[in-house]
Amino acid sequence: MTSTTRDLIADLSTSHGEPGWLRERRAAAWHVYETTPAPTWSDEEWRRTDTSWVDWDGAAPAANGADPARLALPMEVSSASALLRQRGSMVEVLYTSPEARDAGVTVVSLAAAADTDGATVADRLGTDLAPPSAGKLQAMNAALWSGGAFVRVPEGAKLTAPIVIVIDAADQPIFPRTLVSTGAGSSADVLEWWRSSQAATLGFANGCVELFVGAGSKLSYTHVQAWGSHTGSFLTQYASVARDAELATTNVTLGGRFHKGAIAATLTGPGANVRLNGMAYLDGEQFADHHTLQDHRTTDAASDLLYVNVLDGSARSVYAGTIMVQPHAQRSNAYQQNRNLMLQRGPRADSIPRLEIMADDVRCTHGSTTSTIDPMHLYYLGSRGLGLDQARSLIVDGTFEPVLDRIPDATVRSAVRTAVRAKLHGTAAA
Amino acid sequence: MTATNGQTTLSIRDLHVSVEDAEILRGVTLDVPAGEVHALMGPNGSGKSTLANALMGHPAYDVTAGQVHFKGRDVLDLETDERARLGMFLAFQYPAEIPGVRVASFLRLALNARRESEISVMAFRRLLLEKMQMLRMDPKFASRYLNEGFSGGEKKRNEILQLAVLEPELAILDETDSGLDIDALRIVADGVNRLRGSDLGVLVITHYQRLLNYIEPDRVHVLIDGRVVESGGKELAERLEAEGYERYGAATTSEDA
Ligand SMILES: Nc1ncnc2c1ncn2[C@@H]1O[C@H](COP(=O)(O)OP(=O)(O)OP(=O)(O)O)[C@@H](O)[C@H]1O
Ligand SMILES: [Mg+2]
Repeated sequence: MTSTTRDLIADLSTSHGEPGWLRERRAAAWHVYETTPAPTWSDEEWRRTDTSWVDWDGAAPAANGADPARLALPMEVSSASALLRQRGSMVEVLYTSPEARDAGVTVVSLAAAADTDGATVADRLGTDLAPPSAGKLQAMNAALWSGGAFVRVPEGAKLTAPIVIVIDAADQPIFPRTLVSTGAGSSADVLEWWRSSQAATLGFANGCVELFVGAGSKLSYTHVQAWGSHTGSFLTQYASVARDAELATTNVTLGGRFHKGAIAATLTGPGANVRLNGMAYLDGEQFADHHTLQDHRTTDAASDLLYVNVLDGSARSVYAGTIMVQPHAQRSNAYQQNRNLMLQRGPRADSIPRLEIMADDVRCTHGSTTSTIDPMHLYYLGSRGLGLDQARSLIVDGTFEPVLDRIPDATVRSAVRTAVRAKLHGTAAA
Repeated sequence: MTATNGQTTLSIRDLHVSVEDAEILRGVTLDVPAGEVHALMGPNGSGKSTLANALMGHPAYDVTAGQVHFKGRDVLDLETDERARLGMFLAFQYPAEIPGVRVASFLRLALNARRESEISVMAFRRLLLEKMQMLRMDPKFASRYLNEGFSGGEKKRNEILQLAVLEPELAILDETDSGLDIDALRIVADGVNRLRGSDLGVLVITHYQRLLNYIEPDRVHVLIDGRVVESGGKELAERLEAEGYERYGAATTSEDA
């Protein structure tokens, strides 16, 4: 069975005309996948996260010709720098703005880039950041990804509109893969949006994102997970941030039945500045787990994390965040905040901070709060004429606002805000 | 004394209010006619804020007996937001801080809740800026989170800003003057005076004659230990300022931060 999967991977790679090095990497990754045990409750990282539903033995390349529901784009095409859409395994670049073209920005499918930008892709895809050896899920993605997105912002290019990547899935497994790299002194906003229609049943998604933030560049990367409510979803999102570079990632978790995000930023050069933002709005039986890592490997760098969960129904969230400061990484500043708001008694939120500080001259704080809506807040808003539902949704909006505030691009911010509100009001009406 | 222009805006009859089974108000009777300004004074802990919050429908305050009518309507069965939409407004002694909720977006929702048809975003902006200018508030407060990190006086101004935008028919000001600087006090008093003589009834809770120099009250009521023990004209406030509450046998005096 597994040997046939290996052959299948090789055949598909050949039929897609992939270069030899990529075919070999897929084969090697599959070998790692097969020889890596599935996560179990006894692994610290997976203690609170049930993966018994995952069909590890049935993993196979995504079927071609999938036809996901036709969903409206999250914004006007013309307000983007570029728009890439993947449907199943098929990638189309729907739009590239004159500005992006003039600046020499590349936005293409990763499959195409393996050819046209072979050297860069070979150098960065699944090598330093998220190699197959990182874990069984990363190995699975490395062997099975299809389509994918490749974004390269050349040195000095400054984009004023976001690059948008939309991944639309139907009911079968999907393995999105994104590689972004920003050249020295450049600046860009990237929005990646995972979607499937609510009608979709039992989807499986395992995506992997690698972000290379070049010296003195600015990257804002926003990821929205909006799968239909029956999807189980994994996201690995690793970044390396060079000297004087700024990275802001924002993970927005709305959909799926199960979601597990592994989010890490490695600060490699002095002056690196990282903001890791997250917001999840979960209801019903939804489960979301975010493990984050702020890895300070250099002196004089800063990281600041804010993850906010709002939970309704009998939803559950796990937030586990590590701040790691390597022994030589003096004068690091690292902050971590996790806030959880429970809309009723049913949900549960676990918050597990971990500090591994091996240098002595550092500033580092972390905090976590779990609260319910303060009845005095409802009273205050009520005294101004707002009904209970209105007051509650204003408070939920307000809970997310500090995260939204940290999304630098106004177009991205408003698209995210709209998606969150749609879910909030959709469920309020149900 | 009877109403100057007819209709009694607020009418409280023999109101008894308990908090966690302790009776705080023990039979308050009070009328605030439309167009009048009434002052409510009394020592710390006498029940002034309890009255204000019971009128507004605070969930922790149990009305055990008595009636409250506003514009002729029994309001005790109404939710807080329904009372507000009917035209009641309380400027809180200690306004809540609500992180993430911006002053402007909150206030636009609140105004729309009071109106038949929605105000346009542009028209609201104009209105808000105009009122902020009147209160000499920096426009940047519009995009700040509601009361979060506001100084004591800024919170009070923000309460008055809401009053000015929402234009209620009954305004209860619970120690809005404490924490306000002299300029702000004048601005607030000007605002209230400007609305006087219209349909607005005002109940000013204060410890200080100072405010009443700017907003001359039609009536002054003294609340001691959950009961109105005396009512009179503005000279009553002057006497209280001079003598304190000792003549009523009150245990406390009126200095409060
Ligand atoms: N939620 C509550 N729980 C317990 N006691 C309360 C509560 N609210 C009010 N009280 C008590 O009721 C009494 C009246 O309080 P209230 O706040 O109405 O006084 P006040 O006249 O407004 O005083 P101040 O001048 O200090 O503002 C006080 O003894 C107070 O401690
Ligand atoms: Mg009081």
